[in-house]
Amino acid sequence: MKDDRKQFWLGVRDLLPLMSGVLPFGLITGATGMSLGMDPGMVVGMTALFFAGSAQLAAYSLIQDNAPFIIIVATTMVINLRFAIYSASFAPILGPLPKRYRFSLAYILSDQVYGLCSMPVQMAKNRSERIWYLAGVALALYVTWMISVILGIVLGAGIPAHWSLEFTIPLAFLAMLVTTITSRLLLMVAVISGCCAIAFQLLPFNSGFIVAVVAGVLGGWLLPGWLKMRGTHE
Amino acid sequence: MSDNLQLWLLFVAVGLGTFLIRLSFIQFHGSAEALIARSKHVLTLLPPAILAALCIPAIVFTRPLTAYQPDYFQWIAALIAILIARFSRSVFWPVAGGMICLWLLRYLTS
Repeated sequence: MKDDRKQFWLGVRDLLPLMSGVLPFGLITGATGMSLGMDPGMVVGMTALFFAGSAQLAAYSLIQDNAPFIIIVATTMVINLRFAIYSASFAPILGPLPKRYRFSLAYILSDQVYGLCSMPVQMAKNRSERIWYLAGVALALYVTWMISVILGIVLGAGIPAHWSLEFTIPLAFLAMLVTTITSRLLLMVAVISGCCAIAFQLLPFNSGFIVAVVAGVLGGWLLPGWLKMRGTHE
Repeated sequence: MSDNLQLWLLFVAVGLGTFLIRLSFIQFHGSAEALIARSKHVLTLLPPAILAALCIPAIVFTRPLTAYQPDYFQWIAALIAILIARFSRSVFWPVAGGMICLWLLRYLTS
C-alpha cells in the first residue's frame, strides 16, 4: 500500500516538467472557445466531455465553418483514433481492473500518459506499481488541463482580435506534426496529406479533411511496397 | 438557444465516442491482440496525416478559405515554428516563436 502511494506521487512528479507544454495549450483552448462566442460553462463542459485538446481545437474550426454535425463527429473521432493505440498498450494492465477503475482510468488516458508510462523504466515495474504510476500521471494531467483551460477562459475575453490568436492553433498542430515525423515514410505521409488538404479544401461539408487523411495513410501504406517493387525490377 | 442545444448534443456525442475509443482495447482485453498487431502499422501513419491535413490549409491561406488568399507572413511564421520545433520537444516555443514572427512582420509593414 505504501509502495503504491509512492508510485502515484512519482507519476505526479514526472508530469511536472510537461506542464509547460500543457498550460499554453489549455490557455489557447479556453481562450479560443470564448472567442467563438460560447459561454464559459459551455467551454468547460466541452473540455470535460472531450478531454482531448487537439480534437477540441479541430471542432472549434469546424463549428466556425458551420460544418454539419456528422462531419464534426467524424473528424474528431479520426483525430482521437490514436487513443486506440494507447488503449491497446495499457489493456494488459488496466483490462482486469474492476469496472469503475477501468472506466475512469480509460477516460483520462492522454498523449502524455502514454509517453511517460511506455518508457522502458516503467515497463520494467510490476503491474500494481504501473497502475498506480499511471493513475498519478493521468490524474495530474487531468487537473492541469482543466485548470489551464479555465485560466484561458478567464483571460481570453480580454484578448483583442487583431492579435490573430487563432493562428496559434495551426502553429500548435504544426509543432506536433514536426515532432511526430520521425522517418522519411512519415514525412511522405504528411506531405501527401497536406497537399491533398489544400487541393480538396473546397469539397462540400469539409470532407476534404477526411479525403486528405485517407490519402496520406494509403500513400504511406502502399507506396513503400510499390517503390521497392520498382527498385527490384530496374 | 437551439443552437446551443445542438452544440451540447455534439459535445456529448464526441465525448462519448472519444471515451469508447479510449476504452476499446482495455475493455476487450484478451480477444483483440491479433487485430492490434495487424493495425499497428496503419495507426502509426495516422498522426502525421491528420496533423498535416489540419494545419497546412490554415497556414497557407487566410480565412475565409473560400477566398483562396495566400498569406506569406503566415508562411514565414510557420517556417520559424518548424525550425524551433526541431529543437524543442514542447509545443509552446514553436507557437510563441511563430506568433512573435507574425506580429513583427505585420508591425513592420503596417
